[in-house]
Amino acid sequence: MQYALLIYEDEGIYGPDKNGPAMQQIVAKHMAFSRELGASRLGGSGLKGTAAATTIRTRNGAKTVHDGPFAETKEQLGGFYLIEAPDLDAAIATAKKVPVLQDGAIEIRPLLGPG
Amino acid sequence: MSTLALDRAFREAGSRIIAALAARYRDLDIAEEAFAEACARASDRWPQEGTPRDPAAWLYRVADRSALDGLRRRRTRQRLAPDPPLPEATAEDAMVDDAKLIPDERLRLIFVCCHPAVAADARAALTLRLVCGLSTAEIARAFLVSEPTLAQRLVRAKRKIADAGVPFEIPRPDAWPERLDSVLSTVEVAYAKAHEDAAGAGPHAAYASEMLGLTRVLAELLPQEPEALALAALVRYAEARRPARLDEYGAMVPLSEQDPALWRRPLIDEAEAYLKRAAALDPAGPRSLQAAIHSAWCARRSLAEPAPWPVVLKLYDALLTLRDDPVTRLNRAVAVAEMAGAEVALGEIEGLDADALAGFPPYHAVRADLLRRSGRLDDARAAYAAVLALDPPPAERLWLEQRMSSLGG
Repeated sequence: MQYALLIYEDEGIYGPDKNGPAMQQIVAKHMAFSRELGASRLGGSGLKGTAAATTIRTRNGAKTVHDGPFAETKEQLGGFYLIEAPDLDAAIATAKKVPVLQDGAIEIRPLLGPG
Repeated sequence: MSTLALDRAFREAGSRIIAALAARYRDLDIAEEAFAEACARASDRWPQEGTPRDPAAWLYRVADRSALDGLRRRRTRQRLAPDPPLPEATAEDAMVDDAKLIPDERLRLIFVCCHPAVAADARAALTLRLVCGLSTAEIARAFLVSEPTLAQRLVRAKRKIADAGVPFEIPRPDAWPERLDSVLSTVEVAYAKAHEDAAGAGPHAAYASEMLGLTRVLAELLPQEPEALALAALVRYAEARRPARLDEYGAMVPLSEQDPALWRRPLIDEAEAYLKRAAALDPAGPRSLQAAIHSAWCARRSLAEPAPWPVVLKLYDALLTLRDDPVTRLNRAVAVAEMAGAEVALGEIEGLDADALAGFPPYHAVRADLLRRSGRLDDARAAYAAVLALDPPPAERLWLEQRMSSLGG
């Protein structure tokens, strides 16, 4: 099966432009983790901060453009992996190894479709 | 064969057959529907044609064929290429006995039902439904929810299992402690539902005996896990005391005042055997310590013998280092009151978060008793009123009202 691992952390710890020392630290960890995943990593990336987010909302068929993320939350979506895993237990084992600097959460979502 | 005999045959064979089919087809719905179909055909045919020599094997074969048909129909509907055919039953299959024909996949099924990715409130219900064969109506009654609500919970849980890719496998070693704990906690929750009604006549008691069966199966399947053995012991100690839990007026009798002559000794002996095996395996987990507390109580042969408070307190001290929660602290306080006095115990209880425990009946009940014994009668009265306001079951209400009226005023 294919799963998305969505990484939620308080983006504040990475500095206003996500370029502080904490960022370098976590990027190094992500690079090592990606190497470890090898072929089971189908894709993924870090995301720029929610200050760079733009949201298009649809209400009654009308689309409007807004500054900011979909929802204001304490922890924000900061990156994701797409992985291939035989089942949920394997995906959980992988998700537990996704680096996070402090507190955070990894949401595991199976991809739609026959994959 | 009478309907009752049919039902019994279905229930006895059910969990093994559903587990085997679920493991084979990796789909709980297919397994459940196929088994239901086999039962329906048996109800039609057995009364006329006679009961087969091996009812479980008959049901398994018919269910297996029905599952295969269902799978083919589903694939045609979805216009998917069919999977390569599954191995057909061979002539040898018909020769081997039922125990070998139906592979025992119940442990896998239990791990699936109790997977931490399944909603916590659905795990116990799913286990009781699939592993114990209880009907949706029976489980709904026990959990005090409507049948449609419970049915919906089960549907959602099964969909989650299928969509998220929960595997029909025994967990890997690195996930074992977490997954085992999820299984044992689920069974604990299910049993707590059966036990909380002291009268034993409530809707919960119906499946107390199923819990004896389920914990026995778990202990059989996990003979090297001390906590699984301890859980089997725990349920037996608690069930053994059921006949002594009510007085002649229907009021609850606290453990320290129960007449040990009324306890079911054979069940206590079974519990002792499980606990002994658990203790030999080490290290003592929280359930082993709880079982040891029950064991200390059940060693009492008559009310003339002193209550085992010193050893009970020592065991609660040990339990507190493993499981520091309000329930453990409240139970420990009861032992502290016996050993060091009600005021000392009260001091420990006052350290708990009163706001968080406001809706938790045992908090007020223990506090009320300690206040009463400390001579703070007005405070005791208020605490009794607080627990009565939380609408306890009838037997507990009666006991609490007696205690409250003994305060006078």
